[in-house]
Amino acid sequence: MIGRRLLLALIPLGAAAARAETPLEALMRRLAAVRADEVAFAEEKAIPELDLPLAATGTLRWQAPDRLEKRTEWPIREVLRIEGDRLTLERPDQGVRRSLSLDQSPEIRPLVEAIRASLAGDLATLRRHYEIAMEGTPEAFRLTLVPLSARVLAAVQRIVLAGRDARILEIDTQEGGGTTRLRITPR
Amino acid sequence: MTLRPWLRLLAAALLLAGAAAALLRAVEIRLDMAEFLPPARTEAGAFLLGELRGGAATSLVLAAIEGAPVPELARLSHALAAALRASGRVGLVANGPADLPEDERDLLFRHRYLLSPVVEPALFETPALHARLEALLDGLRSSAAPLLRQVGFADPVGAFAALAARWLGPARIELQEGVWIAQRPEGPRALLVARIAGQGLDVAAQRAVLDVLRQGFAAAGPGPARLLLGGPGLLSAEAAAVVRADVQLVSLVSGLLIAGFLLWRYRSLLMLAAVAVPLAAGALAGAAATALAFGHLHAAALGFGMTMLGVAVDYPILLVSQRRPGESAAAAARRIWPSLRLAAAAAAAGMTAMLGSGFPGLQQLGLFAAAGLLGAALATRFLLPALLGEAGIATRPLPAGLERALLALPRARAAALALPLLALAGLATAGGPRWERDLGAISPVPEAARRLDGELRADLGAPDVRLLAAFRAPDAEAALQGAERVAALLAPLVAAGLVGEIDHPARWLPSAATQRARQAALPEDALLRARMAEAMAGLPFRATAFDRFLADVAASRHLAPLLPESLGAAPVLRARLEPLLAPRGGAWQALILPSDVRDMAALRAALRAIEEPGLLAVEVKPETEALVAAATSRALVWCGVGGVLVLGLLAAGLGGIGPALRTVLPLGAALGLTVALLALLGEKLMLFHLVALLLLAGVGMDYALFLGRAGTEAPEGRLRALRSVFNCTLTTLLTFGLLALCSTPLLRSIGLTVAIGVVAAFLLAAALAPRPAPR
Repeated sequence: MIGRRLLLALIPLGAAAARAETPLEALMRRLAAVRADEVAFAEEKAIPELDLPLAATGTLRWQAPDRLEKRTEWPIREVLRIEGDRLTLERPDQGVRRSLSLDQSPEIRPLVEAIRASLAGDLATLRRHYEIAMEGTPEAFRLTLVPLSARVLAAVQRIVLAGRDARILEIDTQEGGGTTRLRITPR
Repeated sequence: MTLRPWLRLLAAALLLAGAAAALLRAVEIRLDMAEFLPPARTEAGAFLLGELRGGAATSLVLAAIEGAPVPELARLSHALAAALRASGRVGLVANGPADLPEDERDLLFRHRYLLSPVVEPALFETPALHARLEALLDGLRSSAAPLLRQVGFADPVGAFAALAARWLGPARIELQEGVWIAQRPEGPRALLVARIAGQGLDVAAQRAVLDVLRQGFAAAGPGPARLLLGGPGLLSAEAAAVVRADVQLVSLVSGLLIAGFLLWRYRSLLMLAAVAVPLAAGALAGAAATALAFGHLHAAALGFGMTMLGVAVDYPILLVSQRRPGESAAAAARRIWPSLRLAAAAAAAGMTAMLGSGFPGLQQLGLFAAAGLLGAALATRFLLPALLGEAGIATRPLPAGLERALLALPRARAAALALPLLALAGLATAGGPRWERDLGAISPVPEAARRLDGELRADLGAPDVRLLAAFRAPDAEAALQGAERVAALLAPLVAAGLVGEIDHPARWLPSAATQRARQAALPEDALLRARMAEAMAGLPFRATAFDRFLADVAASRHLAPLLPESLGAAPVLRARLEPLLAPRGGAWQALILPSDVRDMAALRAALRAIEEPGLLAVEVKPETEALVAAATSRALVWCGVGGVLVLGLLAAGLGGIGPALRTVLPLGAALGLTVALLALLGEKLMLFHLVALLLLAGVGMDYALFLGRAGTEAPEGRLRALRSVFNCTLTTLLTFGLLALCSTPLLRSIGLTVAIGVVAAFLLAAALAPRPAPR
């Protein structure tokens, strides 16, 4: 909330200073500067219908401008690859490979862009799908994304991205009474 | 009488035209082009025509936008879809992936255990449930979890997933910017499909949708982008409009040309008024006879009928031009009446062939033309002389060279006889005239529009239906059950890959009987709870995780089946079902459509082996060809009957079969020459050519009779006859020559045939006229 108030306060200032950068824009610029990255992740999915959270670990790979790969190694093996408009989900152990077009999946695209557009520092795309609130500074930030689409909102209420120094370190997704927490460890 | 002749003529023409107009206002005018479809003689034919006239296909609207970059196409596509939705005239609009409105999705979800094809007793037994729960857990570990969670706990058995997959269907068309885009060599094309609300071929509704499309597109600011339209119903509505516009334009232009020509030939406004009187009388007689016989008038029959009546201009021309110097109009009318009477009666007799054609539209046309010609002839004989009084209209000579050439024509007698014989022999060696067998070619829809329709269909992946089957039953439920039985019997073909898919209404909405059978397969609440508890053993689900599933299954056991009539508030679902299941003449008809047929023989055999009295299977192409062939051969028979009738009339009028044959010889030769020339021009003969040939026979009759009768007269009399008939020929040519320039196949074929024919009929009649007796 502080972030938004700050943002509001900055609007007339920005207009007067002819394009002074907001903290959000500064953060996005610094995120956009990272062209490629490979990190380890540990995920915990808490689902109200389950007794215990589901854990998973693996690697995340980012290649600007639009290629993101989430490779889960344990307890199942799965590769989620997003490139351009294509999303591909592979389960090598089951021989399953599904591919879909993000343009054709208005309910999936925002969930993909929450991470991909953030990594790309693409503020315009983020704003197309989310209401964005930023707390902190580009050095230590917390971005709260609330879906704009009512349909997406029914499944996912909020995504919080937190991190430091142009690096996202934690992604918390709130979905229908459950929370998925993804922690990132730089390699 | 103190009124001046031209005032009298004008008043009479206006009075008659006014009466005709008043009559047309009082009579119902129909626009339905289906009246120009051939009549059906078989059950299969009747079914096919029923589908063509009012079936699912006729309500389909295909639209494409091209000529702009993809984002602009997407914007226009959305704007057009919004305009269509806002108009309330379409039941379904799709320009991108299918999407069900929330409430319709809920309706399907609530009835999932009644509607879903996967529901069977084994699905609710412990081993199957356990397997499903393990799959759910596995899915929850995957990245697809957020999607799975939405329905996974309420429907762990996946009944809704199977149902939704069917309704939303596989996306076969490329999507860009959220709309369907087809990549074509000439650039991208945005695609849109809509279904006109309601049933049947309602020309007014189709025209309204056309207007919505055009205005919606224009309002969206298309810039350089173009809108292309397809869909059989829309095309025929548009074609009818184009035909009407063409006829109106041709009538106007040819009217002006004829007026100009008559003014040039006669230098008298009186002549124009004299021509108008029999024309107006003919229109009144034609409209009155048709309205009396049919109770309504078809707009196309009226339009063509008026064009055909144009030949009645000949009668006043003949009267005025054949008048000898010093002869009164009344005396001239009396003198030429035997020939005129015979010419008109024979022409009208020729039109009877159309009465026998069986096409309601052509019957009207035939009656209109026959009654109109007789009316015009009577007006020329009894009304016109009285109105003309002593007023004289001089026929100016033709240019001297032309007159000499015309007078010399009888010397080319041998050539005039040889030419048609040669042409006919050539035609015979080439295997006779080629007949058009495709119903599409008979349709007034231009070739280019039909090709575009095919392209759009291919772009949209819409099945090209080669064979269709229908199941008729007294009510919707019985029709659905019949479709289910037939589809089950054909299922082995699909399994063997001989047929791609079989679409039928029960695929979308199973019969109530099937829904009840599925209900009966659902276990009782206590039993399902016990099985679920067992199935969950060893899995990390909470005890309450599947409460919604249990409650929904329990509720489903007492849910009323979803019936076609309960889809009232679900327009998208209804739009899917209606084309396949609809009331037809007191019964209900379910369509069973095999698509992607790889082995037609196997499908044909399988359908033949099914013993269901309500089932009717029709192969579209052979059946429509049979329809066209049957209609054409009937028309040929009736042409023969008309010919015999004409010959009989002539024999009676001219006193013997010999003179009658001699009179029709030039006419017959002209008809033969015309058919041969049409074949030479690459025209495939069809019904409309036959109609045109009949019209030609009616016109040519005047020429043969008048030139034949004058042949033995002094050069002066021959010249008078030649001048008058020459003027008649040119007025006819001015009308039909213009029709030959139209792009609509229907108008072009009539125009071309008559234009070639009148020239041939005139020249041959002049050449073959009896020689003057040597003095």
